[in-house]
Order: sequence, then structure tokens, then C-alpha cells
Amino acid sequence: MSKIWDFHGGVHPVENKAQSNQMPIVTMAIPKQLILPLNQHIGKPAKAIVEPGDYVLKGQLIACAQGFVSANIHAPSSGQVSAIELRTLPHQSALTGTCIVIDTDGKDQWIALSPTLEPESLSNSDLLHIIQAAGITGMGGAGFPSVVKLQPKAKIHTLVINGAECEPYITSDDRLMREYADEMIKGIQLAQKLLGQPRCLIGIEDNKPEAIAVLTQVVGLLSKNSASTHPSIEVCVIPTKYPSGGEKQLIEILTGQQVPHGGIPADIGIVCQNVGTVKAISDAVMLGQPLINRITTVTGKAAANAGNYEVLIGTKVSDLLAFANVDMTKTSRLVMGGPMMGFTIQDTHTPIIKSSNCLLAAEDLELAPVANHHSCIRCGLCEVACPAQLLPQQLFWFAKAEEFEKAQDHNLSDCIECGACAWVCPSQIPLVQYYRFAKGRVKDLANEAHIAELSRVRFESREQRLIDDKLAKEEKRKNRAATAAAAQAEKRAANPNAQDPIAAAMARVNAQKQAKAMDAEPKSHTQKYKELKTAAAITRTKLNKTSKALANALAKDHELAQGLQTTVSELTEKAMHAQAALQAYEAKLGLDPEKEKTLQVDVAKANAMVRKLEKALATAEEPKDVEAELVKARSSQTKATDALTNHQANLKASPISAQES
Amino acid sequence: MQTLYLAITILALLALVFGAILGYAAIRFKVDGDPIVNQIDNLLPQTQCGQCGHPGCKPYAQAIADGEAINRCPPGGETTIKALADLLGVDAIPLDAEHGTEAIRTIAYIREDECIGCTKCIQACPVDAILGAAKQMHTVITAECTGCDLCLEPCPVDCIDMLPVEVTPVSWHWQQPTNLIATSQAPRSHGASGNE
Repeated sequence: MSKIWDFHGGVHPVENKAQSNQMPIVTMAIPKQLILPLNQHIGKPAKAIVEPGDYVLKGQLIACAQGFVSANIHAPSSGQVSAIELRTLPHQSALTGTCIVIDTDGKDQWIALSPTLEPESLSNSDLLHIIQAAGITGMGGAGFPSVVKLQPKAKIHTLVINGAECEPYITSDDRLMREYADEMIKGIQLAQKLLGQPRCLIGIEDNKPEAIAVLTQVVGLLSKNSASTHPSIEVCVIPTKYPSGGEKQLIEILTGQQVPHGGIPADIGIVCQNVGTVKAISDAVMLGQPLINRITTVTGKAAANAGNYEVLIGTKVSDLLAFANVDMTKTSRLVMGGPMMGFTIQDTHTPIIKSSNCLLAAEDLELAPVANHHSCIRCGLCEVACPAQLLPQQLFWFAKAEEFEKAQDHNLSDCIECGACAWVCPSQIPLVQYYRFAKGRVKDLANEAHIAELSRVRFESREQRLIDDKLAKEEKRKNRAATAAAAQAEKRAANPNAQDPIAAAMARVNAQKQAKAMDAEPKSHTQKYKELKTAAAITRTKLNKTSKALANALAKDHELAQGLQTTVSELTEKAMHAQAALQAYEAKLGLDPEKEKTLQVDVAKANAMVRKLEKALATAEEPKDVEAELVKARSSQTKATDALTNHQANLKASPISAQES
Repeated sequence: MQTLYLAITILALLALVFGAILGYAAIRFKVDGDPIVNQIDNLLPQTQCGQCGHPGCKPYAQAIADGEAINRCPPGGETTIKALADLLGVDAIPLDAEHGTEAIRTIAYIREDECIGCTKCIQACPVDAILGAAKQMHTVITAECTGCDLCLEPCPVDCIDMLPVEVTPVSWHWQQPTNLIATSQAPRSHGASGNE
């Protein structure tokens, strides 16, 4: 057996694995409904290619990977797509996401499968294509699309298979190794083929002796039969210590090498895969089956039938809990994942997804109750426990003070959020939550900076565009002016005798004005009199209107009143002037407007009398009397009219008018 | 006496040589523009909203470089003020409420069936994030909207909404735990564990 190294820190929480690893894996009955989130993996969400109402067969592709880092999703059982809608996701945030909901019909009818009988004959690209099409993602917890990991750019010398399963309570990998060792080895061989036949190290914690025994036997048989044709596979027993199952920690234990800061294992020639993932690869290639089920541990003291269950992806948590006889009244806290890295879920209608390895229904006192935390006493236990060799205490202070830059300088991004620091903390400070918060803010800030940069570029290019537009317009205008001037000059050149059109027009207008002035006759007195009269009338009307407005404004206490007041006084003066001018002119003419008015009234009176009598005559009983009166009235009407006509004639022939003209 | 002349000559020569080097460097490595303005501009959120009273972030950066207060940028909020204070070596002061208050980031959405296609919002957008043509429906390119509000005012039919940026499972992250001393609060009835 090759040498085993150790990693810094680590803790030894109570394992609690015996609760669930005694019973063989049980295949769960097909649930009535399956909920398949489009984003069960790291990377871009898949795109649904079915519609509500479609009938789908087991294993049929229902959502297509979008881009390189993404994964296909298949129907886990036959049935009808009842909806594609927002459902609560099995995620810390308890937010919703788009899910395909399938109502199963119980027939569990497979789509036509194309198993590969001789995988050795397949080319690497065909093999990768099969794995990609099967939608396989890392089954350990993170859910990274496996096909990406299986085509690294660097040369790989070691394939590490992660069977450590270091989190307490979880036993799904343990049972899988015991019961599916052959499939696992097949999957490992396929992965080795893809990676250029590196050696393979299977890391298993020494608390799983049965799994170690089974795998050692299978590997032993294999090396006996075909040692020359296959690269080596070795089962490495490692001491039980949390978190030996962390990718970087396991690599350090098995190879003594550390993954560099900010790097991936492939940078040092290593690829790490979970045991469940290699089994899924084997199923996809050998049986042609896509990833539609997984082994999930249901455990905790509230679970009567604690054990491992082979469940269809998309099975509701509530269905699985019911199948495992979990008494929900006994548990106050349902954890998805393990007690160290898992998260509490409130809504049991969320589905099991590709990366859900455990449901922990712990009794009230089973999990260490977290009291409100105390102050940090700087004991330094967290530093001792940290498997990533960070300074948890410093990171805690920086996260608390929101000094994210300093936290970054202390390699916050290298934290694997294993929870060892929080587990040892005597003050029970939720350290990991501080780090998660800080990581989230760092991501937010980077995102904001990116958006700001984008906005700046767009703003600056817009400004530039506006300036360019303005300059272009100006340029165009200048060009037009130049063209017009040139055309003008050409015209002039063609006809040198022609006058400048503007000068000509000016001359014409002047001539017209002069002619008008010559034509204008002196105004007659009647005209002038009329004009004066009109002017007086207009000023009077204006004065009346403004006075009314003023009254209104005063009544409403309007601010305009002041202005109106001045206008009124001005108008009063004007009206007086106009009236005076009119009267002066009348006096000059020797006119007596009063006399004319009296005459006019006389005429009107006579007219009215005549009309009245005429009417009376039409209806009178004694027409003779009326007729006599009518004759009288008519004569007075004629007299009045004559008097008025005389008066007006006198005015026209007035001596002053002769004088004036 | 000869030593004295020698010393003076050597010093004079040195002065000439270094003077030439400095003169050359001054021309060769001349910095265009005012680098402090760019540094300030880098810290501003680039919403180009004009709430500070300047027509964009760059003009405000210029104004800060010329001595204006650093607390007039509501979209940047306390974070920006802190960063500016660090850069300029002045005290961080609270946000000037006269220019607005710090709010959550929003993005403009056009209610498309109500849009009459007047292009007024397109002309108002400082980052060209609105797409559309005369008498055609307009829409906001949400990835490029800075949430500056400048498109709201010119819209004649008020069909633009400012909606908060949606939190997705990808953008979501943990909040800072509320820091409590155990003795300051009665114990909770239910246990909780792990790292939450």
C-alpha cells in the first residue's frame, strides 16, 4: 500500500453512521409526482425541451444542457409533464426556481436504450459524448458537470476516487461501495481511459471496513486477471478525520500534494471523482441509462427505517420521508446534507436532486443545539482545526467588520466551508456563516464593479457618439452652405448683368412705400372724427373689461390685483384723453353730438309709433280712427328724418371742414 | 585651489547630467490628464444618474478632485464614501440626504403594451440600455440598465417601472449573523446545529 499523508487540522465529530449503514439499499417506490429543477448543477441551467401535457418515457431527455458547464436532465420515470413552473428549490435560500413537474403513470416504461457492450472499442470523444448526454454531475455534493472534469487540459497522472464520506450520519457512499463495487470499478476504468490511463487511488476512511473489504477483493481479482492491460487501481485506507472527504484534503492525504491557491486539482495532474459519479458513468456507458436516480441516506433518530434508498431524482422530500417512516413530530429540524455542511429545509415539497446525498431528520436533542453565540475569546482552536490552514479568527473579524479586501488577502476564497472551526469554537460563533456572508459580498462587489465598468464604457461611447453626431451635423451644414454659395456664384457668373435678388426686392418694397405715401389723400373730417370716436370707444371698453377683471381679482384676493390696479389707472387716463380729444374735435367742427342724438331719438320714436299703428290697424275694430293717427305719425316720421338728414348734411358742408382740407 | 575647481566642475557636470535625465523623463513619461480623477471615477458606481448634480460620474469625479464633498452619491452609498475617504485621505462623512438616500438597486422595466414608441426614454438613457425605434415598442436591456431613473421623467405615458433586482438562488448569499451575546436573549425553544 502506498504511503498516506496527513492534512492540517481536522476534527472528530461523533460518526453516527451505524444508524443507517446496517440495511441494504432499498429501491423506493415510484412517487406520484416528480419535480425536476432545471438547475441542479453548477453552471448554466438546462433548457426545457418538453411542454406541459407532453407524455415522457423513463430516461427521455426533457431539458438540454446550455453551454459547456451545464447538464442534461432526463425524465426519471414515465408519465405526463403536468407543469413547468416555479417551485421551491432544495437550496439554503429556499427560493424558487423553474422546475419540470411530471405526474408519473406507474408504468415506469423505459425509452429505447443503447447500451455499449464493448466500451474499450469506443473512442474518447464517443465516451465523453455518452457521459455528457447522460447528464452526469458530481454526486458528492457540489454537482459540477463531470464531463468537464474528464477532459482536462493538463496531463493527468492520478485519478483520485473519493469514498471517504467523512461527514457524520451519511452512509450512501458506504453502501454504494459495498453493493455496486463492480460497476464502480468499470466506471473507474472508463474514467482512466478518458484521462490517458493514470493510476487510480480509491480513498476510503477506516470506519468502513466492509466497503474496504469488498473493494479490495474486487480490485485484487481484477489485477490478477488483467494486470498487464489495465493501469493500477489501489484501495487506500485513510484514518477517519473530518473533512478528509474534501477534494483538496483527500488529494493531500493520498498524494502529499497540495492544490495551489485559486487552482484546480488538474493543475497538479490529478482528477478527483466521487464513487457515485463513477458508478453513474458506468451505468451511462454499459447500460445506456442516463442519471435519473441516486442513493440517498435517510437518517436521524426520528427516522424509524433509517437507511439508504435508491430514489428517483425529483422525488419529493416528503415522499421519501414517508417511505422511510420518519416521524416528523419528533424532529424540529430537517437537514439536507450532513450535520456539518448541510442546510435546514423548511418546505418538504422540495425535490431530491442529483447532489442530495442525505436527509437528516434529527430529534430535538440529537444535534448540538446552538445557543446564541458569545464573544470570541481568541483561544485559537479554530486555527488548529482549519483544514485549509487559514486564520479563521482573522477572517471572522474581517467579515464582521465588512473589511472584505482584507479577508480576501487572508485567502477567504480558500475556505471550503467545512465547519470544523465552528464545531470547535467554545463561544459557538457561527463562523462559517460569517465566511459565507463575506464570500457572497465579495462576489456581489465584484459583480457591481463589473457592471460599473460596463456602464462606464457605454456612457463614454454614448458621449463620444453624441459629440460625433454634432460635429457631423455641423460639417454637413457647412458643406451645404458652401454648395449654395458656389451655386449662387455660378449663377452670377452666368448672368453678370442680373441684379442681386435681395437688393432688387428691397428696391421694389421701397418704391411701393413711396407710391403709397404719394397716393394717400388727406383725411376728411368725417373720417378723422370717426377714428377719434372709435379710439375713445375702444379705450372705454378696455377700461370696463380691466375694471371687471380687477374686481374679480380683488374678490379672490389674487396676486394679479396689484398689476391690474396700475393698468386700470393707466387706462382711465387714456380713456379721459381720448374723450377729451374727441370733444375738442367736435367743438372745432362745431358739432353738437347732443343735438344729433336728440334728432336720432326723434326719428326712432316716430318709426316705432308708425310700426305700432300699422300693427294696430291690422287688428283694429274702428280702422278709421287709427288710419288718421297713422297719417299723423307718418308725417312726423318724415319730419324727423328730414331734420336728421339736414343736420348731417350741414356737418359735411361745415365751413371748418373746408378750412382744414 | 585646484581641488576646489575640480569639485565645482564635477558638481556642475553632475547637475547637468541629472538635469538632462529629469528633463527627458518629464517629457518621455508625461502623464496625460489627471490620474486622481480616473481613480475617483473608478470608485463611483457609474450609474450616471446625475443625483449628485453633475451630468455623470466622470464630471462628479472631476468635481471631487476639485474639492467638492464626497457624500453626494446615493447609488454608491456608504461603501463608496468609505472608499473615496480612503483614497483621498479624508474623513468619511454620512450621505448628503439632499441628493437622495441609499436605496436597493433597481432596474427599469417598460410596460410594453403601454409604450407608444416616442423614443424619449432612449434619448434620456445615459448608457444606451433602451432598445427601440420611433412608433415601435421599446424595451430595456436589463443587463445594461444602471437603474438611474432618468428614463422615468421623460416618458409621456408613465409606462416605466423601477423594480428591484430579483434575487436568484445564484445571486443569493448568506447574511451576516446577528451578533448576540447569549445572556442578552432568552434561549430559543428549538435546537439548531452545524454551521448555521
